[in-house]
Amino acid sequence: MRTKRALKAAALIAAAVVLGLFTVQGTFALWNASAVAAPGTVSAASFDVALTAVNSGATTNMTLANGTPANLALSPAGTLGPGTSVSGGVVVTNNTNAGGQFNTTITVGQPTVANSGSGTLASYIIVNSKTAASTTECSSSTGYAQISTSGLVSPTLGKGGSTIFCFQVSLASGAPSTVKGQAVTITLPLTARQLCGVPSGC
Amino acid sequence: MKNSTLVKGTAAIAVGAALLLGGGGTLANWNAEATAAPGTIVAGDLNVTAANGVWTDRAGTVIPDITAYKVVPGDKLTFTQPLTVKLVGNKMAANVATTGITPTNGFTSTNVSVSAPVLTVGGTAVSNPLKPTGSDQTVTATITFEFLSTTTGRADTTASYNFGSVAFQLTQVTQPGLS
Repeated sequence: MRTKRALKAAALIAAAVVLGLFTVQGTFALWNASAVAAPGTVSAASFDVALTAVNSGATTNMTLANGTPANLALSPAGTLGPGTSVSGGVVVTNNTNAGGQFNTTITVGQPTVANSGSGTLASYIIVNSKTAASTTECSSSTGYAQISTSGLVSPTLGKGGSTIFCFQVSLASGAPSTVKGQAVTITLPLTARQLCGVPSGC
Repeated sequence: MKNSTLVKGTAAIAVGAALLLGGGGTLANWNAEATAAPGTIVAGDLNVTAANGVWTDRAGTVIPDITAYKVVPGDKLTFTQPLTVKLVGNKMAANVATTGITPTNGFTSTNVSVSAPVLTVGGTAVSNPLKPTGSDQTVTATITFEFLSTTTGRADTTASYNFGSVAFQLTQVTQPGLS
């Protein structure tokens, strides 16, 4: 009997408190108004760099849809004899859809020359490169130089801009006849890098 | 007997009513009249409206359509939202505040820096409460979005950040003399 009474009293107090809170809240409500702004959606640009082989015209994006780096065969024209050379090249285009400034530079790293099978041709191969203004310059032997340890860096590529890298592969004049008919795979790593567009530096 | 009581009562009421009717006239001697004009009570006003907000880049160039603009690392965009605050009333005072944003972030959180809305009046931070100045006041809300230049690799290419909606609330606050 006593507990029932106590419960009743507690319930009454709780109800009173709730009611009290409601009334207190009521007195705070003076006028109020609100406005809503919709800043919208900010989207990031793509980082697309297109590569086109000078000799074959084959094209690819530097990064494939699955995120892995692409391989582009430059297929240099001609066969190699001691003291002679073949050439090839690649056109690199900055294909971003950036809204603001998006400058890039492309760097060609050190080439790796790998023998096919058990050949020894690789040690007689010399790889030179240069940047060019037109693809026809690739077949001209002037201007070629070895790629420095810091790599061959292209001029700045703005949005939609492109640059050409020419590569020349020569066989040392002292190559022995044992390397006849052998083949090598030459890998040239290309890296595209965004240049800092922030005035105070990145 | 009963009947006579009824008759007497009725007669008494009749005499009383007659007296009342006659009395009206006899009271009317002098009288005068005056009019007071308490006037018209006019309510004040409290309102906040949002005009079109504008996005600008780091150099202050206006971006006409944010949906067509693609950000790259190093970009810093600022959203400027003018709010027109109307406050009318002798004891009017109100706090302006933002109720926050609930964005949908498709970026890696460490690659972007997004500020909370900052409210300013004439270039200085809002000092609540605002009071009537006799004309509409412009409160400017700014939000900045920075795609950090520390982003590496191809991180967050084609990602998007949806700001959703940002609500601004103007709430009257009680002043001395109000309750």
